[in-house]
Amino acid sequence: MTIGAALTGGVVGTLVLTTILTAASELRVTRIDLPFLLGTAVSANRTAARAIGYGLHFVAGLVFALGYYAAFIVLGHAGWALGMAFGLLHASFAGTALVNVILPAIHPRMGTFYNAANSEAVLELPGFMLLNYGRATPIVTLLAHLLYGAIVGAFIGASAH
Amino acid sequence: MPGDYAAIRDYAVIGDGRTAALVRRDASIDWLCLPNLDSPSVLAAILDPQRGGCVELAPSAPHRAERAYVPGTNVLTTTFRTEAGVARVTDAMTLPDGRLGPFRELARRIEGLGGEVPMRWRVAPRFNYGRGVTRITRRSPFPTADCRGDAVAICAWDAGDLRCEAGAVTGSFVARAGSRALLALVAAHGEPLVFPARGEVESRLDSTAEFWRAWSARLTYDGPWREAVVRSALALKLLVFAPSGAIAAAPTTSLPETIGGDRNWDYRFSWIRDSSFTLEAMLQLGCHVEANSFFWWFMHATRLMRPRLQPFYRLDGGAFAPETALPLAGYRASRPVRIGNGAAHQLQLDTFGNLLDTAFGYANRGFGIDRETGTELAQLADFVCTIWRQPDRGIWEVRMEPRHFTHSKAMCWVALDRAIRLAEAGTLPATHVARWRDEAANIRRFIDERCWCEPRQTYVRFAGTEEVDASLLMLAIMRYEDPRSPRMRGTIDAIQRELGRGPIVYRYRGDDGLGGDEGAFVCCSFWLVEALALAGRRREASELMARVLDLANDVGLYAEEIAVDSHEFLGNFPQGLVHLALISAAVACAAEPS
Repeated sequence: MTIGAALTGGVVGTLVLTTILTAASELRVTRIDLPFLLGTAVSANRTAARAIGYGLHFVAGLVFALGYYAAFIVLGHAGWALGMAFGLLHASFAGTALVNVILPAIHPRMGTFYNAANSEAVLELPGFMLLNYGRATPIVTLLAHLLYGAIVGAFIGASAH
Repeated sequence: MPGDYAAIRDYAVIGDGRTAALVRRDASIDWLCLPNLDSPSVLAAILDPQRGGCVELAPSAPHRAERAYVPGTNVLTTTFRTEAGVARVTDAMTLPDGRLGPFRELARRIEGLGGEVPMRWRVAPRFNYGRGVTRITRRSPFPTADCRGDAVAICAWDAGDLRCEAGAVTGSFVARAGSRALLALVAAHGEPLVFPARGEVESRLDSTAEFWRAWSARLTYDGPWREAVVRSALALKLLVFAPSGAIAAAPTTSLPETIGGDRNWDYRFSWIRDSSFTLEAMLQLGCHVEANSFFWWFMHATRLMRPRLQPFYRLDGGAFAPETALPLAGYRASRPVRIGNGAAHQLQLDTFGNLLDTAFGYANRGFGIDRETGTELAQLADFVCTIWRQPDRGIWEVRMEPRHFTHSKAMCWVALDRAIRLAEAGTLPATHVARWRDEAANIRRFIDERCWCEPRQTYVRFAGTEEVDASLLMLAIMRYEDPRSPRMRGTIDAIQRELGRGPIVYRYRGDDGLGGDEGAFVCCSFWLVEALALAGRRREASELMARVLDLANDVGLYAEEIAVDSHEFLGNFPQGLVHLALISAAVACAAEPS
């Protein structure tokens, strides 16, 4: 198992994850837009926010891939199936805590439960399992993260052989 | 009354360069597509008061309403007077101001001007032309409605307690002298909603008015009827789809050409035939940026299928526009309500003349056309040489068997004439100029022999008929024929005599393959004004112009058609071609006699 494989898997996995979320948005299945959510933490300019957001999203994808890598080393085993299980855990964490609780707490432009929108524009809260962005959002994000996990697991597993 | 149909004449339009909303005289907003002009509607009460969705805002007491645009802007004010007071509603689709704001924002400011006016409002969004399941949830900070990839939030400040009931958000409050309330419908498409702060909406409302004032102040026209020309330019600017530069024919679909009839079409596309008018009008008014972006959108869109051309293209330049019917009641039971347009694949020969005339007008004003584009334009002229003998559906997109329409043939001549002139100027390769000249002469011979009626001294609608058609006025306007020639004089007289009803001019009276009757096309009246002015009959032209201007609604807008007897508006609204023809007619009347 190599770090290089983890990073490569992270890049490919993030590409696939981003593509799935973007396609789902274009197909009007969900309104989740992770680059927009991340980028608006840095810039109020929509265009700049999207560009920055894509960058941040890829960095996050690499960081999570390194996390998967550490977990694989601890378990002494890597592969697409185990990666997919990590993806399930990852999606659950994202839907319940990461995007739903932690991101609003640190995002300077995201509304909170206590916000009255009387000072400046605020972004819509994701809600539990990101349901505010559409009923199909949990399914789409779960599918995307399962694939992300499988890809990262497959790359790291392949490097072990 | 809300929940009922209003006359088309009773609407005004507001917009932001991406989409447009129709506001009726009682301040109900009955039409809005999101996020773009050609997206599915969220408000469509104009087509179905029960299922379509609307934003109502009016006094709950008996009242009178007056309205006007803030001068030089696309910001609309409606003033309500009750026995107890006066309140004013200011409506605009706001423009982005550089801060993080909603993707689209419809802002409504309510000011108490005197006494007390009890106001009530109701927002009932219905996504996807009323077909979507609209889910309204009340969560902090504002109620939101969503359906698949689209969402709107209903933001209200000092507008009473919000109630969510029966698929709508409602409220009521009293507008007292000096008070100010604010409503905003903010939209997201494929992304999370952005909830604006009150101060930001107020600020954007003001800066939007300022933008429009500055934009209209730059218009260079100083001739007669300036107010009507500026209003037309402002209306046209709302039809410009900002991301591409395309100009929609109208922001609506299926407002009927006959009440209760089936002549209901989707006009949220950009027609090639409007192009030369568009470019000319923009350049005449000093809108060089808009002219430039329109020309290049136009060249890119038509590249897809060149040398064949579609009559129109989608606002994003796409060519695919399948026609389907929606399960909506239709404006006063005028069904079907169509989206898409089945005329997309008709052969309409006049489009070639319009395209080459547009390129000629663009190059003639000193704008550059690159070698590659020049070569493609030459290929179009070559194609015209091979295709002009075919019958087509003509400028009016008839749905009967194709005919040899005189206007179509003349526009093929225009295509070759402009190609020859561009080649002589070195803009187009001159390899095939001799062929273009020969074929242009053949077209003229065809028209002379088969499309001219000697006993009646007029050109005719198509070869083999004795009918006339208002599109024959374009023979003068496009300089196929000298506007002062005896032939053109005879044709103008015949059109006035046979198609004119006071200031109103029918496009034709013969068969077009569709059942039912229709109103008169308003653009034909302005074409007649222009043809008269070009023919040197300036007094007649000015008198007619004044009478046609009187037919506009109270805010200076026109629908595509007008009923001859009642002067009721018919067809899609506001229609770009009418306002283009108005500008062109005013300019022709204002020009020095030549």
